[in-house]
Amino acid sequence: MASIIKVSNLNYRYPDGTVGLKDVSFEAEEGETLVIIGANGTGKSTLFMNLTGILEGDGHINIAGLTLNKIQVKEIRRKVGMVFQNPDDQLFCPTVMDDVSFGPLNLGWDNNEVMAASQKALALVDMEGYESRTSYHLSFGEKKRAAIATVLSMDPKILLFDEPTSGLDPRSTSKFINILYTLKSQGKTILIVTHDIFLAQGIADKVLVFSEEKRPVAIGSYKEILSNYGLLLKNNLVHQHHHGQIVYEHEHRRGYIHERL
Amino acid sequence: MGFANNLVEGLDPRSKIISFLSIILCMVLTPITRLKDFGLYFLLILAIAFIAKITPRQILKRMFVLIPFILFIAIFIPFIKEGNVYWSIKIGYWQLRVTYEGVWTFLNLIIKSVLSIILLVIASATTTFPDFLQGMEMLRTPRLLVILMSFMYRYIFVLLDEAKRLMRARALRYFGSRYSEQFRIIGYMIGILFIRTFERAKRIYSAMIIRGFTGEIRSIKRFQFSYIDFLFITGIIISLLFIVSGIVYKLEHMKINNAHLWQAL
Repeated sequence: MASIIKVSNLNYRYPDGTVGLKDVSFEAEEGETLVIIGANGTGKSTLFMNLTGILEGDGHINIAGLTLNKIQVKEIRRKVGMVFQNPDDQLFCPTVMDDVSFGPLNLGWDNNEVMAASQKALALVDMEGYESRTSYHLSFGEKKRAAIATVLSMDPKILLFDEPTSGLDPRSTSKFINILYTLKSQGKTILIVTHDIFLAQGIADKVLVFSEEKRPVAIGSYKEILSNYGLLLKNNLVHQHHHGQIVYEHEHRRGYIHERL
Repeated sequence: MGFANNLVEGLDPRSKIISFLSIILCMVLTPITRLKDFGLYFLLILAIAFIAKITPRQILKRMFVLIPFILFIAIFIPFIKEGNVYWSIKIGYWQLRVTYEGVWTFLNLIIKSVLSIILLVIASATTTFPDFLQGMEMLRTPRLLVILMSFMYRYIFVLLDEAKRLMRARALRYFGSRYSEQFRIIGYMIGILFIRTFERAKRIYSAMIIRGFTGEIRSIKRFQFSYIDFLFITGIIISLLFIVSGIVYKLEHMKINNAHLWQAL
């Protein structure tokens, strides 16, 4: 399969000089689900901001055959949908329907198309009937699902999820994973940033590990990455205390996430 | 707008904005000495409330939230305003004087405010805020102002929640200190709130441009100016013309002089 995302030697520094990304290179194939794991502050979210052209680093990014630059960034944003970590940042319109239809309207679709795409997106995240609800009054789980719908309504080829399960209860997490399976079956390319290594089980085709030096240090299947306890420990994805090992082994042995699904 | 519960709710927001602003403008420009005109304004507003199926109880309930603020401002005017003394009393060294001019200014403020508030209650009960904003934009209100109002409506409660969380965090670790120290902490909290708001604004803007935002807020809802809107605006404008032309006084004059109706008009 062809690479739909190709990142080469990407470096990013924040205006205050802090390193955001250091020599990042990786590829993702079309229809693939790539889970990017790393501890807090390893540059995972910064990577997503670079992939959507919000932040501009040094290096080369190619998405769906287009090189990310000032001229092509708008075309790339038509193909890439990003769901932010905090749904309150994504739901800025007065009602859910206004938010879900915001992207398609900006793409210049006609009203019937916008309506159909918005309804379809809301149905996919199990939020039919929420159209006229005020975003502020939704529960956190509902806000997260509405935020996903705001991106799905644009029917992007590539979906970026920034810490999608943070703050969600088990039922909402399970609902989110079901949505991911549906999107995967539709052939979408999905990139997920998380520090929850167990989320990757059953979803990830590949797992990319970010180190605290803000760069990728390993890539492989979920099994390969999870079986490398040293790698996880070194990169602050499991912790050193004895009970950490117990939890890790316990989860590993029982296939907790798998059972939950 | 086919699901509207009443005629006023089903109107295009533009016709409501134009009509209600016209009424307010006429009321503001009418001298308070023409009290009978204000009676007619009141009847006109009541008629709109009746069509909008808003009960007096609903109006009173919402009005009483705002009235105390206006009363607080207006109550001192009769005592402060210079002019011909209407009534005075001496309490010790104090001389309290109520002037004619003060009473009229007081009435001017109270009557016009109350009538405007009733209109505001009707407007808010029959128009959602997003529809109101869209109406404003369709009436060519500067887009930046409309976007700002939209964001204020969406994020005011988020910010209040943020402020509440900061207050709680302070309360849990506050065991009494000097006033100067408390002011310093409140200053920090305001600063933190400002920084968080600024950071949030940046993230929201990112979320907007990723979804193709180019400076124009588009909406899926389309309003159509129908013949009902036209009739509503025309009805309001004709009523206002009658009031402003001093029809009550002319009719009174006609009655006194035993004149014909056409002579009065």
